Amino acid sequence: MRDVLRLSITLALVAIASAALLTGVYNVTEPVIREREERDYLEALERFFPEIDQFETEKINGDTYDLVYDQAGEKLGVMATVKTQGYDGTITYNLAINTDAEIIGILVVSHTETPGIGDIITTDNFQEQFIGKSFEDPIEPGEDVDIVSGATLSTGAMISSIRRALNTVGENFLDMERQAFEFEDLDDGFYRGTVDGTYGPLTVEVEFRDGRIQTIEIIEHNETEAYFVDAYPEIPQRIIEEQKLEVDVETGATLSAERIVSAVKNALEGAPEGENGGGDN
Amino acid sequence: MSANNPYLDDLSRGIIRENPVFRLLLGMCPVLGVTGYLINGLGMGLAAAAVLIASNVVIASLKNFIPPQVRIPCFIVVIATFVTVIEMLLQAFQPALYEALGVFVPLIVVNCVILGRAEAFASKKPVLRSLVDGIGVGLGFTLALGILALVREVFGHGTIMGPGPDSAILLFGEGFEPMALFGQPAGAFIALGLLLGITNVIFKKFNIK
Repeated sequence: MRDVLRLSITLALVAIASAALLTGVYNVTEPVIREREERDYLEALERFFPEIDQFETEKINGDTYDLVYDQAGEKLGVMATVKTQGYDGTITYNLAINTDAEIIGILVVSHTETPGIGDIITTDNFQEQFIGKSFEDPIEPGEDVDIVSGATLSTGAMISSIRRALNTVGENFLDMERQAFEFEDLDDGFYRGTVDGTYGPLTVEVEFRDGRIQTIEIIEHNETEAYFVDAYPEIPQRIIEEQKLEVDVETGATLSAERIVSAVKNALEGAPEGENGGGDN
Repeated sequence: MSANNPYLDDLSRGIIRENPVFRLLLGMCPVLGVTGYLINGLGMGLAAAAVLIASNVVIASLKNFIPPQVRIPCFIVVIATFVTVIEMLLQAFQPALYEALGVFVPLIVVNCVILGRAEAFASKKPVLRSLVDGIGVGLGFTLALGILALVREVFGHGTIMGPGPDSAILLFGEGFEPMALFGQPAGAFIALGLLLGITNVIFKKFNIK
């Protein structure tokens, strides 16, 4: 018993000494690091918006959006500082957007993606494909931007995060509106749609009757179960309640949520599978 | 190699006879990972050396205080503390190097050279000798990383003191097409294998054991 006590006390003392030392060093280095980060950020602002005179900061969903103005008070654009979950840890990046809602610059501030694999997100090659993309563009893998194979999770996370950030900026600061997907005139019936997920296809069956989406069922999915429960049944419920596909997808599983929405859209773009659907439900 | 002076012996042993990279093949992860450019290799070597020296001294001075049953956790806490200190200092005062070394800085915690010296030397020997041992092994590690990084940078990129257009010196002029393989992770294995072969030949020739 006395032995256990001695061991615990020794370990505790070592840990306390360690914590004290770390606290001391942190207090010295933290202001230096923060000051440099702020300076780097201001430099980036000036690079992307050479005529910048002042900016005002807004926060949406935990991300920071700086609205940039020139000397005459004219809006030049928005600089977003966005955090997203990469393959391993958080990716923080700046996204510069001009008043036409076009991306004019990307700067990865910090990340912990795998060296030589996921850190491809910091390269010009990867980032340049976003430059000039606007609010009107799909920014969808395989359509107008490319996922890098071997670094699917890192690059996929960046693509959907950039799409969401651009969306947020467009709708909140640049008076843009997304063209709503129209489906009121569809024939009654059951519609099936499939999209590719990270680990395999996701298929939904949509029951459409009397001009309304009645039910949305997941037929097949290969999403990570632990995350998927955050998107299903929440997202289908939102679609059915609001009777539109432009629902808020900010959940614990934003990627899965977006996939469900895309699959429903994909389904309603196709032909119905018959009055009574695939099953006898 | 005379062993008249134990301090001199401690110092030279880490650099030459028991060089952690060329002789013991310990701590190979950063050796292969960050030696694409000389400056990164040296930076990594010095960061690991600083941690090693500090942890050797602290562990040697605590060796009578730490019970043997919990020595490994105590060593790891000490090592992790110094690694975090180095990480914060690098981030504050050497941001470019911090960016280049990336995840390999926190990984110094699990570098077996450091725990190896703590367990095999510092936990048994006096403080001053542990300090000298730390300096010796640290220099040996830095030297090995420096040599490997120099070879890889010269052949893989054709530069010295890169990356970056300001500091890099183009060795072979603009027309030189570097052997990209040496810049890649796989090239690190090949370069390391060649260097190990060369050092073995040298050691055999001079009969160093």
